[in-house]
Amino acid sequence: MILQDLIRRSGRSLKSAKGRTVLTALAIAVGTFALTLTLAASNGATAFVNKVISENFDPAELIVAADENIFGRADTSKPQEFDPSFGTSTTNAGATTQVKRITEDDIAKIKAIEGVEAVREDISVNLRYITREGQKKYVGTAGAYNPFQKTELLAGEIADPFTGANVILPEGYVSALGFENAEAAIGKKVTFAVPKAVTPAQLQAQAAQGAAVQDPESLAKLAEENIVLEEFTVTAVSKKPTTSQPGTELYLYIPADEARRLNDISNQGTPDFRKYNFIYVRVTDGENEDALTATQQRIKDLGFQAQSVKETQEFLTNIIGVLQGIVAGFGAIAIIASVFGIINTMYISVLQRTREIGLMKALGMRKRDIGRLFRFEAAWIGFLGGMIGSVIAVLLGTAINPAITKQLELGDSSLLIFKPVEVAILVALLMLVSIIAGWLPSRKAAKLDPIEALRTE
Amino acid sequence: MIQVNDVTKTYGKGENLFTALYKVNLEIPDGATAAVIGKSGSGKSTLMHVVSGLDHATSGEVIVNGKSLHDMKAREIDKFRATEMSFIFQAFFIEANQTCYQNVMLPLEIARVGRRDRRKHVLEALQAVGLEDKVDNLAANLSGGQKQRLAIARAIVNKPKLIFADEPTGNLDSSTGDVIIKLLFDLNKKLGCTLFIVTHDPELAEKCQLQIRMKDGEIQDVSGMSKLKEASKSRPKKGARK
Repeated sequence: MILQDLIRRSGRSLKSAKGRTVLTALAIAVGTFALTLTLAASNGATAFVNKVISENFDPAELIVAADENIFGRADTSKPQEFDPSFGTSTTNAGATTQVKRITEDDIAKIKAIEGVEAVREDISVNLRYITREGQKKYVGTAGAYNPFQKTELLAGEIADPFTGANVILPEGYVSALGFENAEAAIGKKVTFAVPKAVTPAQLQAQAAQGAAVQDPESLAKLAEENIVLEEFTVTAVSKKPTTSQPGTELYLYIPADEARRLNDISNQGTPDFRKYNFIYVRVTDGENEDALTATQQRIKDLGFQAQSVKETQEFLTNIIGVLQGIVAGFGAIAIIASVFGIINTMYISVLQRTREIGLMKALGMRKRDIGRLFRFEAAWIGFLGGMIGSVIAVLLGTAINPAITKQLELGDSSLLIFKPVEVAILVALLMLVSIIAGWLPSRKAAKLDPIEALRTE
Repeated sequence: MIQVNDVTKTYGKGENLFTALYKVNLEIPDGATAAVIGKSGSGKSTLMHVVSGLDHATSGEVIVNGKSLHDMKAREIDKFRATEMSFIFQAFFIEANQTCYQNVMLPLEIARVGRRDRRKHVLEALQAVGLEDKVDNLAANLSGGQKQRLAIARAIVNKPKLIFADEPTGNLDSSTGDVIIKLLFDLNKKLGCTLFIVTHDPELAEKCQLQIRMKDGEIQDVSGMSKLKEASKSRPKKGARK
């Protein structure tokens, strides 16, 4: 028999046992449903990570840190030896740990490395408050604008190069600062209150005036006075970002020079002065992976930690991968369970059609073709189950996707991304699994003795 | 031509040894109608199985159309069965949930007949048995006589040289049986194919040119051979179908 006839005949014999076929296929459909959704969620999560990274980072940049724990978690279960040159940081649980930071000297050293094009410090300045004439004061953080981050604007524009006392105001501040709408904010001035560290000289002066140094009230008063008011012009209003790094949604982005200046004001006279947790190092011809890796190695050789955007991405997608793997595992178990269903169904089918097999053999059908006929039948069951499961998954996924995406605030990204090729491969794999499951029953059919089979009434 | 030379068929071993056929010799010329008669267990079915290649002779030789079945590989025998012979059974063995068309199509698919010619062959075969108006009916809806006619259509669709009929009227009432027998003989004349009928119905056997009587695995006597030889002399050359 030619392939086409075998496929048609096997499909026809399934049709004559609809209930049994559909029930067996449903068992496979359950696993397929889980796997299809897992694949879609995996695609969605990976796409989201990639989007976040591509819209925030320049692939030609390396993230460089001095502390070895910077990309991981400091081990707070063991005592760390104190080092005055280290900065302090607080873990999520509130424990204090010290972090070795990048100094001006380090930056000079890194800049001298072959292949390093430019260095950009990771600066964020915690403002005492941000306000505007006649409006309330709000807490805020000023950040250095990174030209690679994708900023969607509601109004105004970002000059290239972005310089001067200008700020990109996040959407959230528009009404808070009393602007009617985004457009109305453009060109208006806002005031940043930059905190200044209390210097020993001030403390001495205060002591000379007779106030007790340890008096908390006067210290607070001192801190209150210790602010520098800086005026910035709103040059653009940014839309609430969906792909920003977590926690940076309300960052007030100002030109890097300005950020450095405010940072200096804020840290002057403290151990934190001109020290950074991270810096971003742009590599000459960094889009070229070899150039990037070579420079990365040279930075590492000087004792710094350096991670490429790609590695960060891989790190994140690996985490996603592990989570997806667990769900996929359950789907696979469901499919393995359904394999026994297929084997059982196929044995019943062979038994029911003993006479037909006998007849086909008597009419000269080859053993091999009989076996294939039943393996195709199994493949049909796998195909049916795969289609039922994946179609339901796609329909359901497409239906609930907008709701989930909204709930998770993914913006214009999608949690579930179905790729037709993947679904097709999945269905093909299921057919293969079904064929393997149908192997023993089909062998039994192929080996039937036609004389015996025709004797069966 | 079917030649059976000294064929013995045994089953089992030692004390359980059962001899189904013992030193059977037989010759059936092309285009003849032959009836094998005997009681149950006389070996007539085994003879059919051995001659059709469904079973192997323990010893001896079966030569069909000049080819020794003994020398053929399983695959060759399959091809041989698919193209040169076919079967009609007492219990019809048609697929009730398939249409008449699909039932008759089966041998063509097995023999890998080209798609284009199939429809023509199937319709011809159905017409030959008078089922041309049932082409797309489910076989389940046919009467007993119609089912056997359908089985005959399936048997002739490949234009085989040899048709084996195992108690073809066994499940039918006598008047329906007569119609089937008439159809079989008509087809034998029209198509020139050899008809090998296994039966225990003496009336049916008498209508055949050859009567092969069997008992306990041995041929008791063959009658009609001389008449057949005379007839073959006056008959036109084989293959010249009317």
